[in-house]
Amino acid sequence: MKLKNILMAVVAMTSLMVASGAVQANEHGVALKHAEIDVTDQEQLRRGLTVFTDVCMGCHSAKYITYKGLMDYPELSLSREAVDELRGEHPLTAGLITDLSPEDAKVSYGKVPPDLSVIANARRGGPDYIYSVLTGFEHDPAGKVPDGNFNEYFPGNRIAMPDPLGWLDHDEADTAELEAQAQDVAAFLAFIADPHQNERRIIGCWVLGFLVVLTLVLYLLKKSVWSDVKH
Amino acid sequence: MLEKMMKTRLFAWIDERTGAEAIIKSQLTEYQVPKNLNYMWNFGSLALLVLTLQILTGIFLAMYYKPSAALTYGGYTVAFDSVERIMRDVNFGWLIRYMHAVGASAFFVVVYMHIARGMYYGSYKGPRELLWIIGVVILLIMQGAAFFGYLLPWGQMSFWGATVITNLFGALPVLGEYLQQLLRGGFAVGDPTLNRFFSLHYLFPLLLAAIVGGHIHALHVVHSNNPEGIDVHEGQGTIPFHPYYTIKDAFGVAVFLLFYCYVVFFNPQMGGYFIEVDNYVPANNLQTPAHIAPVWYLTPWYTILRSFESKLLGVLAMGASLAILFLLPFLDRSKVRSSRYRPVYRQMVILFFITVIVLGYCGHSAPTPTLKLVGQIATTYYFAFFLLLPFLPKFEKTKNVPDHI
Repeated sequence: MKLKNILMAVVAMTSLMVASGAVQANEHGVALKHAEIDVTDQEQLRRGLTVFTDVCMGCHSAKYITYKGLMDYPELSLSREAVDELRGEHPLTAGLITDLSPEDAKVSYGKVPPDLSVIANARRGGPDYIYSVLTGFEHDPAGKVPDGNFNEYFPGNRIAMPDPLGWLDHDEADTAELEAQAQDVAAFLAFIADPHQNERRIIGCWVLGFLVVLTLVLYLLKKSVWSDVKH
Repeated sequence: MLEKMMKTRLFAWIDERTGAEAIIKSQLTEYQVPKNLNYMWNFGSLALLVLTLQILTGIFLAMYYKPSAALTYGGYTVAFDSVERIMRDVNFGWLIRYMHAVGASAFFVVVYMHIARGMYYGSYKGPRELLWIIGVVILLIMQGAAFFGYLLPWGQMSFWGATVITNLFGALPVLGEYLQQLLRGGFAVGDPTLNRFFSLHYLFPLLLAAIVGGHIHALHVVHSNNPEGIDVHEGQGTIPFHPYYTIKDAFGVAVFLLFYCYVVFFNPQMGGYFIEVDNYVPANNLQTPAHIAPVWYLTPWYTILRSFESKLLGVLAMGASLAILFLLPFLDRSKVRSSRYRPVYRQMVILFFITVIVLGYCGHSAPTPTLKLVGQIATTYYFAFFLLLPFLPKFEKTKNVPDHI
């Protein structure tokens, strides 16, 4: 009877937790596209880094990720040579900071592009949102917003960032390549938003494994201590 | 094991100077507890565990955290940078910070369960009125500590949440404006606010620790209530706390840790419920987020606040909704404690729990006219529950209460 109650509570709590994870998808009405990402996949993360440094870093920074971090995080583990090539004159301990000054950005785009270090946590849908926005540039059906500033997935649809991957009017043959680029950079941004996440999940498996055993042992111990109590 | 330890010469030496043996006997090995407590009675020890975890992780976080709203590159601040530094560069900083952030929510989960248990089984009724009142003080200090703590990462929700809540004080007559400026340390939420909130966020848990000591002491004077809600006497249906309830609490701790560690390691933001998405955006006083909502554990009271057109009325109602908890032992005039023998109260209190959940849902969601109406109905019932209690014995036919467990 009591065990049944505990089991019911466990089931209820677990379903609540699962539900809370599923709810997050999207809140602006448009369903986001699902990004195929794997934050443990070194190849994908490195490809994403290349998209980030070649395209995004023209305007955006990721100041919490240092050049040294690109070597140190096992998920990336770039060679010293590769990092030296990327950083040029910047010191190893510098963050990935764009050469575009905030003042110039304001003149060109009307606002300062946000830092992307934690962007995957700072937007509902995370990597799915990033992927959707990068491949969401369309012609405005109402014809009001100029080309390159209309985005299906951006809240309010009017985005200051002009189509970075050249999605609008791209050749049919390039679709797969552009989608792959958007997913790779979404994976990279999801990784740098919380760079210890893979380590965290691995440790978490050991912790939960230990706790399952501990719970079982304590349950049996409790039963044996209580065996002389009559109800 | 405990008996063995108590027979050593070292223990005898300590006992001579502290009276440790008498304390251990009166508080643990000979402290009498009803034998029929169910698992709802585990949440008290869990609350103590989470408080300890919060204080310990908090001490380590404070070694690295910097309470400064000075701007840094990219629209961030020294405070935000220091949190990210903890997450990235401090050894196991991510673990300590997620434990602390998830711990805040876990603390409210266990404390709300603890309060619900007290209400359902009538644990607030005589002779435990003062025990209940100390508990309500703990709840208020906890809510304050959580509110101060949420400002510290200096994200958008930190900033705007603090702005909205400190604004409330401005609505109070005469002293309101003064109080608001005192809390903020200026005319708007800014660097001085962050510094005083950090100071208070460190102070409040220490107050909590002291008052929790008082709560436990008060409990040990009047002893635990039980699911039957009847008085028990030593030798009749009681067992010593140790070893029976130490092992039962330990088992409860293990079950709790399973859930807690699952969230810490696999879902620390809990889909935006434990750490809100907008709080990863650095605070910006020129840009209001589309939807400002406090963290889930404060949303029921936020709905009560929003249910009134007049800001002053809303603030007063919110204050009253918490203050009325103090009066619960005196509003309830029934002689019977447990809901098991009070059919009408049982329905009322279950509906009350549902109401609080509904209030929480309304406060968390973006406001719509429907939700506003639902919130107003729920607010009405919230107060009606308390105000009906004094009249309940007039028409409630209680069932026969057994005279022993």
